[in-house]
Amino acid sequence: MKRGCWERAVRCGCYAAGFWVVSGAVAVVGFAVRQGAPHVTPKLLFGGVSAREALFGGAPVFDGLWPAVVGTFYLVAGAVALAAPLGLATGIYLAEFSRGRLKEVLTVFFDVLAGVPSVVVGLFGFSVSLLLHKMVSPRLGPCLLVAAFSLMILVLPYVIRATQSALEGVPQEVRITALSLGADPVQNLAWVLIPHSFRGIASGLLLAVGRCAEDTAVILLTGVVVTAGVPRSLLDPFEALPFYIYYVSTQYASPEELERGFGAALILLGVSVSLFAVAYAVRRAVGHWALYRA
Amino acid sequence: MIRQRGAWLFLVIICVLAMSTGVRADGYDAFKGLEGTLKISGGTAHIPVMQELAREIMTRYPAVRITIAGGGSGVGIKQVGEGLVDIGNSGRRPTDEEIATYDLRLHRWAVDGVAAVVHPQNPVRALTSRQLQDVFAGRVRNWKELGGPDQAIHVFTRDEASGTRNVFWKKALGKGTIRKDADVVPSNGAMKTAVATDPAAIGYMSVGYVDETVQAVALDGVDPSVENVRSGRYPVARGLYSNTKGKPSALAQAFLDLLFAPEGRAIIAAKGYIPADK
Amino acid sequence: MTRRERLTRKILGAATLCAAALPLSILIFMVVLARPLFSSFSVTDLLTGTWEPLQGRYGILPMMTASLLLALASLAVAFPVSLGCAGLIFGLAPPVVTVPLRRLVQLMTGFPTVVYGFVGVFVLVPAVRDLFQAGSGRCLLSALVPLSLMITPTMTLFFSDAFAAVPRPILLAATASGADPVQRFVWVVIPSARRGLAAGMVLSFGRAVGDTLIALMLAGNAARMPSGFLESSRTLTAHVALVIAADFQSLEFASIFVCGMVLYVLTSCAALCAWRMRAAAERYSG
Repeated sequence: MKRGCWERAVRCGCYAAGFWVVSGAVAVVGFAVRQGAPHVTPKLLFGGVSAREALFGGAPVFDGLWPAVVGTFYLVAGAVALAAPLGLATGIYLAEFSRGRLKEVLTVFFDVLAGVPSVVVGLFGFSVSLLLHKMVSPRLGPCLLVAAFSLMILVLPYVIRATQSALEGVPQEVRITALSLGADPVQNLAWVLIPHSFRGIASGLLLAVGRCAEDTAVILLTGVVVTAGVPRSLLDPFEALPFYIYYVSTQYASPEELERGFGAALILLGVSVSLFAVAYAVRRAVGHWALYRA
Repeated sequence: MIRQRGAWLFLVIICVLAMSTGVRADGYDAFKGLEGTLKISGGTAHIPVMQELAREIMTRYPAVRITIAGGGSGVGIKQVGEGLVDIGNSGRRPTDEEIATYDLRLHRWAVDGVAAVVHPQNPVRALTSRQLQDVFAGRVRNWKELGGPDQAIHVFTRDEASGTRNVFWKKALGKGTIRKDADVVPSNGAMKTAVATDPAAIGYMSVGYVDETVQAVALDGVDPSVENVRSGRYPVARGLYSNTKGKPSALAQAFLDLLFAPEGRAIIAAKGYIPADK
Repeated sequence: MTRRERLTRKILGAATLCAAALPLSILIFMVVLARPLFSSFSVTDLLTGTWEPLQGRYGILPMMTASLLLALASLAVAFPVSLGCAGLIFGLAPPVVTVPLRRLVQLMTGFPTVVYGFVGVFVLVPAVRDLFQAGSGRCLLSALVPLSLMITPTMTLFFSDAFAAVPRPILLAATASGADPVQRFVWVVIPSARRGLAAGMVLSFGRAVGDTLIALMLAGNAARMPSGFLESSRTLTAHVALVIAADFQSLEFASIFVCGMVLYVLTSCAALCAWRMRAAAERYSG
């Protein structure tokens, strides 16, 4: 009798925990949807300018999120374009060409890198831009390129781990078939192993995109500004969605600005949640270790 | 006769053309033919004016790109000094040391008051300097002691790099202490948001930012209105500066000139600041 | 080994070297840029002093305390919650609950931190202010709730992975000896997965220490020793974000690199611990 009581208490505790998490998620999503949904209109993006003029006529947008959306897009594109080759190469090297002590040491290195807080990565990016400013050209400073480079550092561990674990998960029989038919290891890698682990690699890249779009601390230190317009150069400061949300939450000047902030929060939430959903759908059994990122 | 009429017509056309160019010769014309990016950062009191000007300029001349960041007066001076931005704004006069180290050129384009502000529901509308100092130092901790409701006072302040803080500290608090447990906010806008959403708050900010969401507090019986700041009756005031390192670039020069042109002065006044002469 | 293979190996090796240089160069940058402070202050002064830049004191103890306090408290909240959720997912609940819960938790890992902060500013801060009548509502407690909610999903997934790695024979043996699901979970699964649990906790701790936006937006940012959860406090990460504005030659500016170093050391210790535990767990289960 007493034992039954105790077990029921554990079970109830578990359900309470589940309820707490679900209600937390509902609170966040519900608030964002309730406050943001009425404002998600073309006006939210383009303000007073018509969409056609803003997209094709090059008309500057002032009362809309468009410059921030484009800024975030460039930022993500730049960071992933930098992280993908480096991360893929490193992941392949770790999985296929390194073993023993070296592999262990390298794995620890990337575990450490994955744990570095984003504000420290931002601080690093900022000091690099100061260095470039002093050493290379006084025109250089915190800018889109520096921010993309810093975000690359942030998401590199994702890409490396996803690639590595996908390659290591290729079954032995697949691994040796082409080799036994006379392919050399490089051919085997290019034509068998990588295509076979494509889903795992893709999920890693998608998560990288999601993290780049979402992170605020890094860009806060590496060149994001309140007003910049649609970016025209990699060396200019830029606007970005997450920073806009942060900015509005602490210092909105008018109810309209606050409404745009709610709209931006909803858009960003929608974008990152769908990216993560697709990433998980692409590869269901991706180890959560690969997804860890401080 | 016909020839004479033709001459007249010609004259009229010339006149109209001259007049129309005369009308078009406004403060924005200086940007004609200019292109590139003008980076501005620093004082957050300046931002509304900067944004409005940027908007007007970029609509007329899309080849010009103006980026605006906040950060506070300290950031403005440092970043322009280091050459990271073209114009660094400050809500205080840069120190002589800063001017010398960075070879700064100062452009003081407006006068702005710094007012203590409370939530609009707060019945306390006037304080003496003494009371204000006590509140910020933490010697007075409840609105009851000032004739308000029985509620703990929430003090909001700015970070050390803020020009607004600097001026308020010097001229309103008499360089007194500020409670260490005061909440720190990073900009004038953040101060407004914080005070507007907290019925027990007190903070201080640029008069240009004061609107119906916050209530400015009269200091020693003087209301921090634009008139009182202009006449000097309200003592807690400072210049708004835009600084450049050495001689400004053509783009920066055009921007600075605009601040002193009629169009710029109109915008400055509309945003609640007092335009200054060159 | 063909020429092509050697070339491939070289290129991939070079890329790996570049990538591996990043964590090192971050640390080196922090140390080099913090150096101006070390010439006039000792390390103990910096780590145990108060933050009064106008008086020339650049200690970061208040921020370190706030960071640790916040991270440990949110871990204390998130641990039982994650354990409970992972238990449900492991099989204490019927699949009709388990599957959607697992999906939801996975999706929650994608919630942007800035959105947590945003919702906190408009929902939690006024609520805390009205409920406790203490201060402005921007305090450690306001940051604690969203922070613990933010680390819960990753922690839950780590725990689920650890539970899933418990060898099947052990589970079967427990069932065969008459244990019901709850007993099996509490007495068999949790003990056998303890290393995995510990690794997940350590990593979540690193994540909680490293988060910037939630603390910056909700904790109030007063740079003094926190004495309770209802007081405005400033974490190391928020401190970096706030002081980055200082003069590049000043000691204040150098001090944020000390903060960066402390954060780096804390999180890499967490990563190293987790790695050792994970290695041990693998040996144990394999």
